[in-house]
Amino acid sequence: MPLRDNPQGGAARRAAFCGMLGALALALSALEGALPPLPALPPGAKLGLSNLATMYAAGALGLGPALLLALAKALFAGMTRGAVAFAMSLSGGALSTLAMWILLRPRRRPFGFLGLGVCGALAHNAGQLCTAVFLAGPAAAGYAPWLLLFGVPSGILTGLLLRALYPLLEKLRTRP
Amino acid sequence: MKRPALLGRADLALILLALGAAAVWLLWPRADACTAVVEQDGVELARVDLSSLAEEEVLNLGGPYRVRLRAGPGFIEFLSSDCPDQVCVRTGRLTRAGETAVCLPARISVRLEGGAGGGTDAVTG
Repeated sequence: MPLRDNPQGGAARRAAFCGMLGALALALSALEGALPPLPALPPGAKLGLSNLATMYAAGALGLGPALLLALAKALFAGMTRGAVAFAMSLSGGALSTLAMWILLRPRRRPFGFLGLGVCGALAHNAGQLCTAVFLAGPAAAGYAPWLLLFGVPSGILTGLLLRALYPLLEKLRTRP
Repeated sequence: MKRPALLGRADLALILLALGAAAVWLLWPRADACTAVVEQDGVELARVDLSSLAEEEVLNLGGPYRVRLRAGPGFIEFLSSDCPDQVCVRTGRLTRAGETAVCLPARISVRLEGGAGGGTDAVTG
C-alpha cells in the first residue's frame, strides 16, 4: 500500500505529492476558518475537514509523511491562531494520524470511509482533550461527551469528502 | 492503496456505539449545581456556593485576558474574556453538576459540583 506497490514513485515525486497534500490540508483549514461558526456545534468544536489530507497520507504514503503533514498543519494553526492552537492542532493531528495508520495497515482494514472518518475525528478530539486537560486542568474533561457526540457527524462528513476526493488523489499519486 | 468501502457493518457499529455512549453520558441524571470551582493551571482560585447566592455577582479574575465570571442563584458563566477564540464565553451558563467551561488561553476552568454538604459521589486515591 505505501509506495512499494507503486514502482513509478520516486523520492522527488513523493516529496511533491506530500507537499500537495500539505497545501490541500492548509486550504481546507483556511476554508473552514472562513466559514462562520456553526451554532449547532459546541463551542470550540470544528469540522476538521483538513484531517482528510493526513488520513489519506497515513494510508498512501506511510506514517512518517503523514506525521510531517500533521506538523505542517499545526505550524499553520500556530502562525494564524497562536501557541495554544499549535499545541491543540499538533496533539489532535498526531493522534488521529496514528489511529489512521493503524487502521489502514494493508491486510487489516476493519472500517470503510465513514468509520475511518469517525475514528480520525474521535482520535483528534481525544488528543486535543488531553492537551486541554494538561493546559487548563481536569475540568476540561467535561467537554468529553460533547466531543464524542459531535465527532461522529464531523467524522462522517470528513469520510464522505475523502471518498469523493479519493479517486482524484489516487490518480495524482500513481499517474506515470 | 486499495479503496476502502464507504460503509460497512463495523462502521455502522462504531457510529451507533459512539452516539449511544455520548447520549448516555449527556443524559445521565445529574444534580443541580451547588458549588462552582474556579481553577487556573489546576490551582483553585475560588469556590462559590451558588445555592446561597441571592443575586448575581461578577468575579473579576484579571490576568492578561481580563476574565470576568458572573455567578447567580444556580448558575455561573464566563461573562467576558479578551481571549481570541471566545470559546469560554460561548459555552454559556453552567447550571448542572459536572458541567464545565474552559478558557484555554487564560488556562482558567470553571466546573460545577453538586451535592454540597451531602456524601461523596466518588472517592479516589
